[in-house]
Amino acid sequence: MIRIEPEPWARMVAHARATYPNECCGAMFGVRNGEGKTVTAALELENVSPGPQASRYELRPEDLLRADREASARGLDLIGIYHSHPDCDAYFSETDLKHSCPWYSFVVLSVKRGEFDHASSFLPNFDQTAADREELSY
Amino acid sequence: MPKILIPTPLRQFAGQQNAVEVGGATVGEALGALTTQYGDLRRHLYTEEGKLRSFVNVYVNDEDIRYLGKDATPVQEGDVISIVPSIAGGSAVETSAPPVALSKEEVLRYSRHLIMPEVGMEGQLKLKQAKVLLVGTGGLGAPLGLYLAAAGIGKIGLVDFDVVDFTNLQRQVIHGTKDVGRKKLDSAADRMHDINPFVEIVKHEVALTSDNALEIIRDYDMVVDGTDNFPTRYLVNDACVLLGKPNVYGSIFRFEGQATVFAYEGGPCYRCLYPEPPPPGLVPSCAEGGVLGILPGVIGLIQATEAVKLILGQGEPLVGRLLLYDALAMRFRELKLRRNPECPVCGDHPTITQLIDYHQFCGVPAQPAAETAPQDGDIDPTEVKARLDRGDPFVLIDVREPHEHQICHIPAARLIPLGDLPRRVHELNSADEFVLHCKSGMRSAKAADFLRQAGFRKVRNMKGGILAWSDKVDPSVPKY
Repeated sequence: MIRIEPEPWARMVAHARATYPNECCGAMFGVRNGEGKTVTAALELENVSPGPQASRYELRPEDLLRADREASARGLDLIGIYHSHPDCDAYFSETDLKHSCPWYSFVVLSVKRGEFDHASSFLPNFDQTAADREELSY
Repeated sequence: MPKILIPTPLRQFAGQQNAVEVGGATVGEALGALTTQYGDLRRHLYTEEGKLRSFVNVYVNDEDIRYLGKDATPVQEGDVISIVPSIAGGSAVETSAPPVALSKEEVLRYSRHLIMPEVGMEGQLKLKQAKVLLVGTGGLGAPLGLYLAAAGIGKIGLVDFDVVDFTNLQRQVIHGTKDVGRKKLDSAADRMHDINPFVEIVKHEVALTSDNALEIIRDYDMVVDGTDNFPTRYLVNDACVLLGKPNVYGSIFRFEGQATVFAYEGGPCYRCLYPEPPPPGLVPSCAEGGVLGILPGVIGLIQATEAVKLILGQGEPLVGRLLLYDALAMRFRELKLRRNPECPVCGDHPTITQLIDYHQFCGVPAQPAAETAPQDGDIDPTEVKARLDRGDPFVLIDVREPHEHQICHIPAARLIPLGDLPRRVHELNSADEFVLHCKSGMRSAKAADFLRQAGFRKVRNMKGGILAWSDKVDPSVPKY
């Protein structure tokens, strides 16, 4: 179960809308309580995919490292990565799975015709062969 | 001792510490020491075979060890080791080995492809998996639709909202005389399914606009542009660049055609070639200037060839080269094209990052001016007829070309082609009253502007040209 507080959620949705028709990506900071997670802050990161950014995203490792240090400095954990799927549903694609990491929750925001539509969260396994759906509230 | 910074999500497995000091002379030894000390961390960093997981990147003092000595990168007192996963993704599905197979019937159908090593089973399966969007099922779309269907492209999307009429049949060979009055989409899809029932055809009965283009194009691997107007051409171009889909371009006029592949992996786009559209009305359309019926066959099949080559990954794509074809001279020429780093859409610092209003950009109204709003100085054909019958004193001038005059004309009209007007203007008395006409009213509007600028006061433009004359006054005048 992952819960995203209103302030980071608004920031993520605004980021996804602003980046449309391209995909956006960013980091989510928060706290863990057992199996549950609460996102209390979001940080926009640059999509550095050299491919078509309308259907691809890539994080610069240095940016992720910086984000992790920022989370740490704020007494939070980097608990998830978000990205948008313009004009398609918030599924966890083969591409998402193949380049994922089991340490994080992956929140996907579906943006249709420039407007937020729906979102889902996923927990990939260690071998990046499957991802479980994670209950998401925002 | 070197220090390993623990990523925040892993701290729960490392006693909630943000950094751990460990022994070891190399990165490999240091990480080994870490995971020995904190066993729960091991599976997060290593596979069961003991290899670093593919998503784990390791940095020593902010340098990626892949560019240093990898696992064997030496570390010493004071070095900081960071662990960071590589994360990417996206809605696009990565192309993997084609899981589909050909049926017995398909093997027979495509046998002439299958026996060529450049296509073979692998290539034919690529064609079957390919999704191509054809914008327009007119002159260029007709040969494209026929041959792409025959070649076995798995999914072909068609965008058109027009209806077949008699003037189409001289070149749009996908439609027949029996199809006049039918939707082009239905007519084209029927013919394509007749050629190849194994092809999936998706009909998009819409005008491609900034509101729907991304949504429609996103589902396809590439776009083949068979449009005949500038707003749609810029729209297709920008949408293809934004979505990273190749745009197989072709255009035709009279006896000449062009073809190239835009927006393909670092190649130029349409805006690199034509940053600005021509002023409205300067470049006549095929409806105004005519086109040799065979010409779109040649150009459309060059586009079809390029589409198939891109799918197969064979040969040298027509990227960075604009192929020019002159049917009268029967010559092909090539112009080199380069991506413009300053291009507003595909350049290094693009300023166009979403679709714009292309009708406004090209200076043309989204819809033809409403019938009920006559321009200043317009006159209806019925009024021209009434004035001729009354014997009113005015001069009727036909500004079309002599060969058009031969097709049909209004007996009272005097022929002065638009292009001859400047040097023949002295034949006219600026005190007289003039009514100008052409085929549909565009050229005569230009001629009227010219005369007004030359000091003529009483100049009117017959609205709708000789086509409207045929509709409203004399149906025996043939329409062309």
